[in-house]
Amino acid sequence: MAKTDGGMKWALVAPVLLLLITFNVFPLLYNIVLSFTNAELVGSGSRTVGGANYGRVFADPQFAGALRRTALFVTCAVGAELLLGFSVALALQRAFRGKQAVVTALLVPMMLSPAVIGLFWNLILNGNYGIVNQTLGWLGLPQPQWTTDRDLKFWSILAIDIWMWTPFMMLISLAGLGAIPPSIYEAAEIDRAGRLRVFFKITLPMAAPVLALAVLFRATDALKQFDLVMAVTGPNDSSTQTVSTLIYQIVFRDGKVGLGAAFACVVLVVVVALATVFTRQLDRLRSSEGAP
Amino acid sequence: MKYLRFLIIIGYGAVATLPLLWVVLSSMKHRADTISLHAKVVPAPTAPADPASITFEATAEAWRDLAAVHAGAQASFWHYLANSIIIGVLSTIASLALGTACAYGFSRFRIPGSGDWLFFILSTRFLPPLAVVVPVLMMYRELDLQGTHAGLILLYTIFNLSLSVWLMKGFLDEIPRAFEEAALVDGYTRWQAFLRVVLPEARTGMAVTAVFCIISAWNEYGFAMTLNSSGAITVPAYFAGLQGNIDGMPWPQIAAGALVFVAPIIIFTICTRKNLLRGMTFGTIKQ
Amino acid sequence: MTMPTAFRRNCYLLLILGALLGAVSSCNKENKEKPGDAAADKSAKSIVIWWFQWAPADGLAELGKEFQAETGIAVNVEQIPLSSYQDKVFLEFGGARTRFDIVVGDSQWIGRGATKGLFVDLTDWFKSVVDLNTIHPRAAKYLCEYPEGSGRWFAAPCETDAVGVAYRKDWFDDAAERVQFKKKYGRELAVPATWDEFKQTAEFFHRPDQKRYGCAMPSDREYDGLTMGVQNLLWAFGGRWHSEENNNVKGFLDTPASAAAVDFFRDLTKLGPKGAERLNYGQVLESFTNGSTAMILNYFAFFPGIYKQFGERVGFAVVPGKDGKRVASLGGQGMSISTKIPPEQQELAKKFIAWFSQRKIQEKWITKPAGFTANTEVLKSTAFRAQTPYNGPFADSVETMRDFWNVPVYNELLAATQRYVGMAVDGEMPTAQALAKLAEEKERILTEAGLLK
Repeated sequence: MAKTDGGMKWALVAPVLLLLITFNVFPLLYNIVLSFTNAELVGSGSRTVGGANYGRVFADPQFAGALRRTALFVTCAVGAELLLGFSVALALQRAFRGKQAVVTALLVPMMLSPAVIGLFWNLILNGNYGIVNQTLGWLGLPQPQWTTDRDLKFWSILAIDIWMWTPFMMLISLAGLGAIPPSIYEAAEIDRAGRLRVFFKITLPMAAPVLALAVLFRATDALKQFDLVMAVTGPNDSSTQTVSTLIYQIVFRDGKVGLGAAFACVVLVVVVALATVFTRQLDRLRSSEGAP
Repeated sequence: MKYLRFLIIIGYGAVATLPLLWVVLSSMKHRADTISLHAKVVPAPTAPADPASITFEATAEAWRDLAAVHAGAQASFWHYLANSIIIGVLSTIASLALGTACAYGFSRFRIPGSGDWLFFILSTRFLPPLAVVVPVLMMYRELDLQGTHAGLILLYTIFNLSLSVWLMKGFLDEIPRAFEEAALVDGYTRWQAFLRVVLPEARTGMAVTAVFCIISAWNEYGFAMTLNSSGAITVPAYFAGLQGNIDGMPWPQIAAGALVFVAPIIIFTICTRKNLLRGMTFGTIKQ
Repeated sequence: MTMPTAFRRNCYLLLILGALLGAVSSCNKENKEKPGDAAADKSAKSIVIWWFQWAPADGLAELGKEFQAETGIAVNVEQIPLSSYQDKVFLEFGGARTRFDIVVGDSQWIGRGATKGLFVDLTDWFKSVVDLNTIHPRAAKYLCEYPEGSGRWFAAPCETDAVGVAYRKDWFDDAAERVQFKKKYGRELAVPATWDEFKQTAEFFHRPDQKRYGCAMPSDREYDGLTMGVQNLLWAFGGRWHSEENNNVKGFLDTPASAAAVDFFRDLTKLGPKGAERLNYGQVLESFTNGSTAMILNYFAFFPGIYKQFGERVGFAVVPGKDGKRVASLGGQGMSISTKIPPEQQELAKKFIAWFSQRKIQEKWITKPAGFTANTEVLKSTAFRAQTPYNGPFADSVETMRDFWNVPVYNELLAATQRYVGMAVDGEMPTAQALAKLAEEKERILTEAGLLK
């Protein structure tokens, strides 16, 4: 039937492809051009500077630091969220009274705006009058400077991210667990399989593909981490600078469009390489998982 | 085992909801109580005599002040909320419509290089949006889209396309082709079969996709801040802009605003809750 | 599923889609028409001023109404969120026409605005409408001229501001405290005149177990907080950011005097509330307004709000000095006219600036919330000093105020300063080493920009 509907199929897919090309591919190509110039945000008359911007990106440890920090952020955030979210989903798997209400309440953090709630976390974590430190003081415990201590602030932002996005992992895990046909568990019961065995032989493999996709979506979002860093420490803090906030600092604060573009290109190469590997893996996972 | 389960639920539930409780309490305080060195935890009808007391006078001041034009701002919170609603809702509808159509195309038709196209669509999601902010800005300047609602709607629509295509493709793949074939036999055109037979079947998926699209469009901050100066400022950009206010941070209003701002999303999620749980598997588990 | 309901649903869907398309296009039109309307209606002249969101901008808008009543030219003061103000202003300048006619720009911007051809050169015009002698030379130098002291004007003073001290007068006046203080330090408890006295006084009031703290100062690592806090000490201690003659940094910044100032600053942060090594202006203010801190260092623009809340329980003073040397960090903004607007708009903008700069308007300006002037006649008048408790110290501070860099690459210099001085304050790097590295980094930035002579 496909043959007769050539017009229709392109009418269906073309708008999306055109939009994505216009707003992603064209800007990227233009970015590459910019990365070889000393273009600035204001004032005209930029000239080509060859690979000078790239030289700077590879020489200045600030850039490598931002990449490393972002990688650490993605790994820790997604790992912790997956572990926590999946555990909570397992605990919530069986039905109980008020389950729907509990699940909905637990989902609220992921619906909040990171820019707004990040601001509010500044109040909660304030080293002096924040409720967390007041509670710790009342209990006679030490009161760390959550958002100002240079060793701690990165982890504080990470903790806020985990607080916000664990519900997402929990929701997807719940859906994945719920989609496992009860008949399989019944069969396992007949076989008298042990609890752990059931978990590792049935629950985990059956939920894996959906979890992998959840990891993919979370990882892509964590990679862009911007809002929380902006709200808690701002873009010019050497111990919390992520890729996005560093680009913001260079392009919008320093006005160095060319340098920012060069860094963006380097980031892009790294990200596309990772994405390719990951999606291949995902494809394998999805195709190997046959219908039960 | 049973106790462990409840321990996990209660423990996690406390961590997840206590900060929210603090937002709620803060929204009922006077500003001075939010930054007091004696934690104010219990709302009371009157102000306590002892300044070190844990009770505070509950007030609706912050909620009323949402309607006030805050020191410096050009309009009240409600104006920015209206901007957020226009932009969030329209961009969600647009990316849902476009994404569903595209997903249907890839799901039912043989498209040359479809695997590569789909990977391309997914890969746009990996890109940190700030990496393309400069070219987008220049484009917007040319098109006179800077600081307009339409500009942000367009951008958010595009951000959400990859998500909506991929989610919808999962859902559409699961709808048996027999449905459309029966419709074609009944004399429907392909378009009619898509619109009248397939779409109603895919509404679960569409609801789920809409939830995700609206959450990300609703809360987006980076572009809302950099592409707009004063035209179409959304709530996240408005609140972030209060930093450095001469009177200090208006914490109670921020708390009240955050609650008002999240309410529509919560309501929307509750309305689609059943679909949400059913539809969240992205079609990866075939039943 | 029955066909009719499905069909109806699709009709809804199509309706929604249609509405969406209509809404998008109308949104676009509506927004495009707005400037068009104003332009089409030629009889209604108006100018647009951009400033960031804060109370003085409200005062400017109020004055704008008076201007409109007098001249028929409407003044729209648009207030941009502070956190992204700078970014947005320069984004506008990147376009063919800015949406503002006048921008109230931070003092550091002037080099960028002047050298990139963004701000209209006001030199010849401004002296024809204003007696330049009535403008305080320090305000002129840092807020208006580029290069500093060159006599080339790119801005007119709008909000003149400096760092000052606010202290808890009721604590300082407390008889028991005074006795205690005298017993401990052998002198009367008084508003500190030197940094050593400041530290001693802060130490005296610092009682964390009672939730009382000595002092709080701007020390944020965002835009410019830490730098604006530290430089009050840096200059008083005999340190320098750079040589004003040839922009050299090495040999001026990486000196024992500069290091001593940074170390002293770090010691002071230990006498503040928890987290005092990283407070933004708002947080400094909050630590005072929640009644826990004895003394704060902050811009005068914040003091009217404090006075309103504390009344007679608060006092204001100039920043302390060292060995007779006292320098206050400059704040505030000048009004510049965009080059990227039509000449007739530039004329309207000039009209407003000329009107605003008159003495009688400046006298009104200082009655607005946190409105501060650079007009020497007003500053000198006893009426001004008597008006509020903070006006006197402000007038005195203007005499000693000094600014950070305002060369076109100021922002990179600022970011580097924030980073390295931050490391020194955090103890991440020995102060001398941090300053040496900072000097090196700054010279690299300046060389790249061709500013190192």
